[in-house]
Amino acid sequence: MSESMTRREFLHLASGIVVLFHVGGMGRAFAAGTVDNASPADFNAWVAIGEDGRVSIFAPMPDAGEGLRTELAQLAAEELSLSVSAVKVVLGDTDRVPAMGSVCPSEAITNIGQQVRKAAAQARETLAAAAAQQWGVDRAAVAVRNGRVELVSDTEQWVAIGELAGCHRLPQVIKGEVPLKPVDSYEVVGTSLPRLEGLAFVRGEATYVGDLRLERMAYGRVLRPPCLGAQLVRVDTRAAASQPGVLRVVDAGDFVGVVATRPDLAERALLSVQASWDEPEQVSMGTLYRQLRATAKLDKQLVLRGDVEAVLAASPRGYSASYRVPFAAHAPIEPHGAVADPRGDGMVMYASTQHPFLHRDAVAKALDLGHRKVHVIVPAIGGAFGGKEEIAYSVEAARLARAVGRPVMVTQSREEELAWNSFQPAALIDVRSGLTGAGRIRVWDCDVFNCGARGATPPYEFESVRVRTHTCRTPLPQGSWPRRGGMANAFAREVHLDHIAAELGEDPVALRLRHLEGRTRMKQVVEDVANRFGWRDRYPPTGLGAGFACAEDAGSCAAVVAEVEVERSTGLVRVRRVLVAQDSGLIVNPDNARNLIEGAVVRGLGSSLTEIVRYEQSRVLTRSFATYQIPSFADAPTIEVILAPNEEHPPQATGMVALCAVPAAVANAVFDAVGKRLRELPLLPGRVRCE
Amino acid sequence: MAEGSDRIRIRVNGVEHTLLTERSRSLLSVLRDDLGLTGTKYGCGSGECGACTVLLDGRAVRSCSTPVAHADGRSVTTIEGLEGDGELHPVQEAFIEVQAFQCGYCTPGMIMGAVALLQRDPRPSELEIRRAMEGHLCRCGCYPRIIKAIQRAATKMRNRGS
Repeated sequence: MSESMTRREFLHLASGIVVLFHVGGMGRAFAAGTVDNASPADFNAWVAIGEDGRVSIFAPMPDAGEGLRTELAQLAAEELSLSVSAVKVVLGDTDRVPAMGSVCPSEAITNIGQQVRKAAAQARETLAAAAAQQWGVDRAAVAVRNGRVELVSDTEQWVAIGELAGCHRLPQVIKGEVPLKPVDSYEVVGTSLPRLEGLAFVRGEATYVGDLRLERMAYGRVLRPPCLGAQLVRVDTRAAASQPGVLRVVDAGDFVGVVATRPDLAERALLSVQASWDEPEQVSMGTLYRQLRATAKLDKQLVLRGDVEAVLAASPRGYSASYRVPFAAHAPIEPHGAVADPRGDGMVMYASTQHPFLHRDAVAKALDLGHRKVHVIVPAIGGAFGGKEEIAYSVEAARLARAVGRPVMVTQSREEELAWNSFQPAALIDVRSGLTGAGRIRVWDCDVFNCGARGATPPYEFESVRVRTHTCRTPLPQGSWPRRGGMANAFAREVHLDHIAAELGEDPVALRLRHLEGRTRMKQVVEDVANRFGWRDRYPPTGLGAGFACAEDAGSCAAVVAEVEVERSTGLVRVRRVLVAQDSGLIVNPDNARNLIEGAVVRGLGSSLTEIVRYEQSRVLTRSFATYQIPSFADAPTIEVILAPNEEHPPQATGMVALCAVPAAVANAVFDAVGKRLRELPLLPGRVRCE
Repeated sequence: MAEGSDRIRIRVNGVEHTLLTERSRSLLSVLRDDLGLTGTKYGCGSGECGACTVLLDGRAVRSCSTPVAHADGRSVTTIEGLEGDGELHPVQEAFIEVQAFQCGYCTPGMIMGAVALLQRDPRPSELEIRRAMEGHLCRCGCYPRIIKAIQRAATKMRNRGS
């Protein structure tokens, strides 16, 4: 049975040098809710060097496809002047990695990367200092290279890092600044190292939750209501219990599940469960935005600069509009799933999740266990996209496992995946803007309903700004993460700016540049993409349009131009080409960054053109890939990525910001092509059609 | 065994298997749950995403929507059976060279679909690649890279005279 280690236990177990990076100022962001004082909760990136010279990195976030494992290995290998093959990265195992609480994954990646870098640098300095002391020389006289510390003046004199590590058993705690290797001496960071998992991927050897095969493992399926909000009134499981392969039917009142020896047998048995439901509320899509507005409660005033009402009243020109973004599904190709393995009085959980510690705590609570009795391990994840933050399915697996006293796997069907998880929040955004007579935007006032604050603060130099976020009662579940509005906020802002440009008779890019003085990173990417596209000399033929948008997210900024073709009679929009210029600080792995940005563009096209969760009478209708349309091969445009190198900034999350800007760029391109201003996503043919 | 069970014989990756199982059970279920070949993935269960693609007598099929009876007496190739003599198939090599993946979940299905395409058409145009691969979904959005990988694999295969 596994127990989470106490700090004291960890320090005794570990031999060799262990570097624990102290949270310091980031303590608030990384505080783990239920971890007690004895656990190393305040250390969130660990580097350990064993006596055998092997370097291990331990970090809380799992890799969901964005290359975190590979990039962390690169960062550590660089600081220690080692080859990446000498570095092992341990992620997403709650017994072995530092705890992490409620942090948005893409921001955590930024911080974790920086901490691993510093932890590795500290380890290097500790090794160098140890050798220098041993030889009676200054720090400058030694160098750490290829698993050794050498005397610079006589490289025949060296000591293996493992041997040095063996002599220094005390952990090093970083509190201040550590000297990082200068960027111009980089050999590993900044190279396009192939993904460490690549070979496993192409051989079908990567193990996702559904691929786990534990001894005596059984398979569970859970009874789902016919619609949202339905309450179980009566259930008859007798037919299910006598189906072939069924081990147990669990009827716990709030929860009915079937456990069988094979997944298809569990599925078949579940179908024979008879249930009656009470279906109280009947919500349908037609009332969504009305409902958001009607149930809104002011949550935060994010920004307030200047007397917004007064400036609006005094502005000779003003433009107001509302923007709408529907619920969307994350729709990873790997559905949610977990395996629960009861061990003694505890539980080992394997879950496809970005939040192993939340799972640990939720399962512990549901089973009335101390969190030390639950151990969560995250295998390979088949895509997350902000959606693998649910915890219910782990609790379901754990309850079924406990009921049968053996491991149980619960993986969702595609229908469950699309209809029964939390959705990407719908958004209603009101924008009011005021300009001087000469066309300078003086005031920007924005009310964001439901989707939260992310990306809501305009990255421009406006004299007066107010951004208010409102919580609303929503008909569909949208999870506990309030900050998913990056794309919706960028859509509202960038379409509104495009509208202002059109009203002023000004080029949309020129309008942006006029209001970006002092914002050098954003200005750079705007210039880069405009130049590469040939924006200033563009003369698209009839039926083609070009649209621009930019966005900031999680420390990165991106500028996007989309070129589209619109068929007036049908309203079909074909995106032919998308250019992205992006500044994500120091790029750890350029090819991986390009891969993520290209992927973000493709995903952004889904938000732009086809993705909408449809529901009527509280029933989600989009339950398959036929009805919930995500981008396919036919939709993929030509994509060009311009990476704007910015080595002064630490590495920033790469995979979201382009997605935030794409829908506005496409909407603006549609306006450029056919003169129709659309303020609601997706840009369905019925909405675009103009003949 | 459950009612409707029959003896089914399939050759999978060159190995003969005899199973006693329901004829209507999906080929995907048999591969993953009886034969332990978990490289082929479940993505939708209705033939719409391509993650479950295998070759049945050399043709790409969606194993989630193929009853195992349909494979009786026939030959199946899964992702695990692509390598020959410890060497990767040119399509597998090309996917690595181009880094045509992010989470890797759709990759086995994509590779099998690509293998089937190139066996049928050694010189596909980009448009033909898009059309042939249309039933394969990649949520991470790697389509441009997958197209490049298939083009690269096609060149490799022509050069090697496969």
